[in-house]
Amino acid sequence: MDEEEGNEYRWESGYEKTWEAIKEDDDGLIDSAVADIIQKSKRKRQEERMQNARLGMMRHLILVLDGSDSMLDQDLKPTRHLCTLKIIEGFIEEYIDQNPISQLGIIVTRDKRATMISELGGNAKKHIAALKEHFGNQSSLSGEPSLMNSLNLAINSLHMLPAHTSREVVFIMASLTTCDPGGIHFTIQNAVETQLCCSVIALSAEVYVFKKLCQMTGGKFNIILDDKHFRDIVYQFVEPLTVSQQKEASLVKMGFPHHLNIDEKEAGSTLCACHLDSQKPPATIGYFCPQCHSKYCELPVECSVCELVLVSALHFAKSYRHLFPIPPFKQLNVQETSASCFACAKLLKSQDKYIYECQRCKNLYCLDCDVFIHDSMHLCPGCVSDQNLLTTQIDSPPNPS
Amino acid sequence: MAIMEQQSKLEVEDVSLLVVVIDLSTEQPFLQDDKLSLTHYLNAIITFINSHLMLKACNRVAVIGSDYCRNKYLYPDEKNKLNIRQTDSQYEMFTLVEQTIRNNVKSFFNDDSSKDDEDEPSKLPSLISGAAALGLCFINRIEATFMSKDNLNSRILIITGSLDFSHQYMSLMNVFFAAQRQNIAIDVCSLEAELKLLQQGTDITNGHFLLVPSANLSGLVQYLLWVFLPEPPLRKHLIVPPPVKVDYRASCFCHKQLIELGYVCSVCLSVFCKFTPICMTCHAVFKSHILLPKKIKKRKVNSGSPMSVSGSMRSK
Amino acid sequence: MSDKSKNLPSKQSLKSRTLQCKNLHEYLKTLNPSTLDNLYNHPTTCLAVFRELPHEAKHFVIRLLFVEQPVPQAVISSWIPQAFVKELTAATNTLSELRVWHGAPIPGGLPGWILNPSFRKNLQSALLGGGKPWTLSAQMEEDTKPRDIKFLDDYAMERWECVLHYMVGSHQQEGISADAVRILLHAGLMKGDEEDGSPIITKEGFQFLLLDTSAQVWYFILQYLDTVNERGLSLVECLTFLFQLSFSTLGKDYSTEGLNEKLLIFLQHLREFGLVYQRKRKAGRFYPTRLALNLATSQVQLQNDATQAVEGYLVVETNYRVYAYTDSNLKVALLGLFAEMMYRFPNLSVGLLTRDSVRAALRSGITAEQIVGFLRLHAHPKLLANNPVLPPTIVDQIKLWENERDRFTFTDGVLYSQFLSQSDFITLRDYAQELGVLTWQNEKKRTMVVTKEGHDEVKKFWKRLSKNSS
Repeated sequence: MDEEEGNEYRWESGYEKTWEAIKEDDDGLIDSAVADIIQKSKRKRQEERMQNARLGMMRHLILVLDGSDSMLDQDLKPTRHLCTLKIIEGFIEEYIDQNPISQLGIIVTRDKRATMISELGGNAKKHIAALKEHFGNQSSLSGEPSLMNSLNLAINSLHMLPAHTSREVVFIMASLTTCDPGGIHFTIQNAVETQLCCSVIALSAEVYVFKKLCQMTGGKFNIILDDKHFRDIVYQFVEPLTVSQQKEASLVKMGFPHHLNIDEKEAGSTLCACHLDSQKPPATIGYFCPQCHSKYCELPVECSVCELVLVSALHFAKSYRHLFPIPPFKQLNVQETSASCFACAKLLKSQDKYIYECQRCKNLYCLDCDVFIHDSMHLCPGCVSDQNLLTTQIDSPPNPS
Repeated sequence: MAIMEQQSKLEVEDVSLLVVVIDLSTEQPFLQDDKLSLTHYLNAIITFINSHLMLKACNRVAVIGSDYCRNKYLYPDEKNKLNIRQTDSQYEMFTLVEQTIRNNVKSFFNDDSSKDDEDEPSKLPSLISGAAALGLCFINRIEATFMSKDNLNSRILIITGSLDFSHQYMSLMNVFFAAQRQNIAIDVCSLEAELKLLQQGTDITNGHFLLVPSANLSGLVQYLLWVFLPEPPLRKHLIVPPPVKVDYRASCFCHKQLIELGYVCSVCLSVFCKFTPICMTCHAVFKSHILLPKKIKKRKVNSGSPMSVSGSMRSK
Repeated sequence: MSDKSKNLPSKQSLKSRTLQCKNLHEYLKTLNPSTLDNLYNHPTTCLAVFRELPHEAKHFVIRLLFVEQPVPQAVISSWIPQAFVKELTAATNTLSELRVWHGAPIPGGLPGWILNPSFRKNLQSALLGGGKPWTLSAQMEEDTKPRDIKFLDDYAMERWECVLHYMVGSHQQEGISADAVRILLHAGLMKGDEEDGSPIITKEGFQFLLLDTSAQVWYFILQYLDTVNERGLSLVECLTFLFQLSFSTLGKDYSTEGLNEKLLIFLQHLREFGLVYQRKRKAGRFYPTRLALNLATSQVQLQNDATQAVEGYLVVETNYRVYAYTDSNLKVALLGLFAEMMYRFPNLSVGLLTRDSVRAALRSGITAEQIVGFLRLHAHPKLLANNPVLPPTIVDQIKLWENERDRFTFTDGVLYSQFLSQSDFITLRDYAQELGVLTWQNEKKRTMVVTKEGHDEVKKFWKRLSKNSS
């Protein structure tokens, strides 16, 4: 449940009848009630996301996973550990897919220590392999987590990065305790100074020090209800966060390599720089860094020779959609209309409880199309089918003609 | 050979769903220059669609017409379902499809509601991105009725004779990424130009791009049947034209030229070919990274030694 | 037409025969060339044959559909990459066997292929129009009492289940006509009982019952077509009419105009089996039902409106229980063929798959594959969401029970024993071994077994040997 930030003491407010928020449906299950809660919070989030807000597009996100023995608890099926593992694997892929120019790192904390199991990078497969190796085994969970050690480790990794990137840390904590070697408040202060944005997802209950960390660094503190809610909260972090206006903007030098596989007779076979360790045979195709001409197999990648970030225009195009979000559609009750959904041509009958109307183009959509438009397509077909609305949209970046 | 045992294994055929986006803009060069008449154009497309339905009884199709000011479903039309009786030897299903499409094309051209009050039609290109988005939503709706997506493969075919869709860059890229995620192939049959943007789309989604040579426009139906009729899982069984090589370099905002090395604004991701102090799109101020020489200080020297000039380079 | 031999199996034969049924292509290949060419004069036959071709063959035909000259064979072979040469040969062979295309030389001498002209013309006319309509319903007036799809489905299932009920022997429904009984007997699905002459179901009949409905209908129609000549109907006409039916639109009525007398009789038979619906015998219109529409296809079509999901009613659990959410006697009886029925409620029947019940089914000729196929075919939608649909333990166990019956292989033989001396035995045994007819031998007991066919040879040799020694 969302925590209230009132100034009153707990006993001063009236009884919180939190049980009334959850209602059983006809079969005595509360699944649909929880799903409703998730749906409502999703819509609320969409409305809160303002247009024209400055977002941190180049993100460096560090995941801190709790490797203590409280992860062996079975209140999430089959165990908290396995549930977390599955959700994080999906999250890594989604994050790298939706933010191709951002990077991700993973820290695991157990036995009062913290270790970085995967360095900051943009390769999803590498992260998932490291995750499976170091966190996948149930026998590796033991001891108590350490908030301070993991925070220090995160600060060390992130403080050298340029100021225009966003620095985020997400903690997934199942334990109710933390074992720290020194003063945690100094570390939190340090984090604030390094401009870290820390968020915590607690699997059991609210812990004061976690909440304080989030409040001071400007992050969000969440407690999960069940596994679906857990998944929903974790996937929130796929979207970039808004940052303050004071954050620096800078011009980053990047390279756009041409996929050189034309004139294969002229291009010689070369080894690629990303697989120097493994025995990949020389090939003619690959991406050549414009500065130093070393070859890479996949983009995006940071050139290990000249430290130039190599991307392709496609990756930017993927990230543009965060900058131009579609406003949520207005929910209307179905009257006796003989209308059909504009997007899928389905007749809107009274079986559908709600229909949705786009505020800009005034077209009607059914529930499935509304979900599809906002989650996958990020594009309202009605607005794009109207020439006036298309030209008055936010400036579209130019493109190869 | 169907021994009873094999039949009971439930050999279910894949359902192939085809969405055709037809560019119906009257400004298309092949219509203006009369290289191919509108009737012939529509006939070729309708024959192609009926051939798709002929392949398997379970195949399905949807058709969307696109113009500079609107996109509309031409088939299926659930509000005005025609009652077809055979008047010649055409299979009733094909007659239904053909009549529905022809009627809706007529009403498409006669519909003046979304046009502005102008005498001549605008030279703007058709809203292909919107039509493709409609197609994706339709496919999404059909996929929801299948219990497992293993038996369904979907694709979108865009047939267009327009020249340039650069103004719809953002929407088209969104459509392509959404199609890529859903494993929907996007094919493009272009009658006029090498549309680089649409080529990127077919490359991302594993579809085909074909430019029909203008001398052979009258053979459009054979091109369609040859290249675009096989469904994606079958395409490796039949030899098809090789994929086009697509250039994914970015172009800079100031000169609109392709560049290999550029500067990117960290806030709005606009690309520039050289350093500018303020971003042109989002007006963010950049801290300069160029080393500025510090003013040379003149130091008073006690002895008669030559003045040491200290010019330190200060970098921010 | 079907592959069973004319001698019925004796009770001692321990191998059961499985039901063989041809699909459309197999059936057409059995017809003589002139009949086939006659059939291709009709657009619907061409469409039906086209839809049954292998995938690559379909695309070959479409590419050649608008080409009038022969195309070099080398060109056509180049349409398929080297890796799929097997598919290429399968496609070309099928097309040649069905006489859809034939070889023709192109000017220049190279061998080429050209589509059968009548096939090409009629397929084109089905696709584009321009020929004569075959339904002749354009001038028909509106039906005053139209029937909707649900009614037609119910009617079709009711009529078809009459036939199945009759086979199973439950007497709740009205009996079926003598014609239908004759067809069942001819097909070998039922046979005359020795005692009172009334028909009882055979092993093949059991297997037939476990098939899905469209396969059953197709098998039945094939058997009917066998007997068609005796009734004075022309095979070509009936087949053409059947194909026309399979290409109608569900829920629409068609006129009986243009059907001659014999075809009207055929229509009445189809009405009895539930393939068409007519309000009265003399009504001028009929409605094809779903059974007629799915006729010639060998593939099961997934219909994605609610109908497919409604048909599934079985839930199979890992404790070997089968729950059937149905109140139809027929379905419960079918389940009872291989499962032991335990409880019966108004909307639910519970059965248990035991070793005995499955072995009883196996004894009557049903195979494990058929049982598993039946369960999968009628699986409840909730069960279909699982992957795999049926619990693998159950599937494996049914197959194991079937394998248990294969522990013995039987070969007929002749036993040789009571040899007077060891050397005699060894000589004879080696001779038999050289001939390759020795099945088993035991030196200590001086016995050996020789196959029936080799027995004569060995006997002759033994006689010669004993004559020489004596």
